[in-house]
Amino acid sequence: MPINLVDLGVIYDIRQGDDGMVEVDLTFTAMGCPASDFILEDVRERLMREPGVNEVRVNVVWDPPWTSARMTEQGREALEEWGLAV
Amino acid sequence: MPTAAELDQMIKSGELIESPKEMTPEYLRELKHTLIVSGDTELISAPAYYLAAKRAPSINAFMTGIAIIQDELAHAHIAYHILEELGEDQEKLIFSRDPKSFRYPYAFDVPLDTWTELVVANGFYDQAGFCLLGDIHDKCSYGPWKRGLNKVMLEENFHLRNGRTWMKRISAAGGTARDELQRAVDWMFPLSVEWFGLPDTMKMHSTQLEYRLKGLTNDQLRQWWLSTVVPYCEQIGVKVPAHKETKDGKDVWELDYPFPCEFDAENKRWDFQQPITWDAVLARWRERGPRNDEMVAMFQEEFHNFRKTHHRDS
Repeated sequence: MPINLVDLGVIYDIRQGDDGMVEVDLTFTAMGCPASDFILEDVRERLMREPGVNEVRVNVVWDPPWTSARMTEQGREALEEWGLAV
Repeated sequence: MPTAAELDQMIKSGELIESPKEMTPEYLRELKHTLIVSGDTELISAPAYYLAAKRAPSINAFMTGIAIIQDELAHAHIAYHILEELGEDQEKLIFSRDPKSFRYPYAFDVPLDTWTELVVANGFYDQAGFCLLGDIHDKCSYGPWKRGLNKVMLEENFHLRNGRTWMKRISAAGGTARDELQRAVDWMFPLSVEWFGLPDTMKMHSTQLEYRLKGLTNDQLRQWWLSTVVPYCEQIGVKVPAHKETKDGKDVWELDYPFPCEFDAENKRWDFQQPITWDAVLARWRERGPRNDEMVAMFQEEFHNFRKTHHRDS
């Protein structure tokens, strides 16, 4: 899908420690998300490319649950252009 | 109904055909045949993938496998639904045909026994599907099918990604995992090359091309497949029996083994020392492979069991 995770509204928090560790709180749009594996790997791989990052921890959280109201305006437009009603 | 010349003119002008009223009986027959091959291929991939998806190494991986199977069933439904609009009985097509009369590639009759083989199927077979359907999506003269494929192409990308991501991961793991991956590639690569059918030198005339049901020849499609699969395998450190050459300033992918050659389906082994004729390949395809009955029974049996029980109860 032509939308990034931030605009999709699934990134709840990102914290950076002094020791090069980055922690991400992330949710999925559905508990049975078939792309969960790819998403987790992409997040880790992308953050590890940032200078000074040497460890990434991703916490999958389900509270609060994701709804389409969490999408940004840009995210909504991108999905509509792609043909998804949101 | 148009005359053959009128239909020909319409196809040449690039116009889309929208209903049976605009077809000749010959066009309708060829369109149905092409749709049956497509529907059967998508449908049979579901049981074939399911047997291997059960061996997924994690819940997340299993969910991805199951989602792919769900997509494949939906893609099959698009083809059968169009066939129904063209006067065929969808239920009969799926549930009442003899297993041997299904028109899917031989590769699906050879069982996928492990998660590794499943992800190679996602990387190779779904890439073959992507090339074939991508060409139809691009060129097909029948409007409803061309439009139906918009979403199919997006979903096939997801299957490819599963295949490629896992192949890379398994290769990077090294050791016995990587050996298992190489063994899977060794038997699945030549089967995928065969998928595209007779070489152009033996197939002088194609009604599908004439009616613009597709746009590329068998060899063009095969080259397209090789141009995506070979570099990727080389990049992740997996050996494949093909290489690139430059002929008349153009890149051409050449196979490093006689094509076609002998395949032992039970042992999943190719004999590169044993070239065979295309007649022998066609005979093997007609005979179908080791799991044809079982694959078809997986979706036919319960339908008939349910019908029988339902009938008794009512």
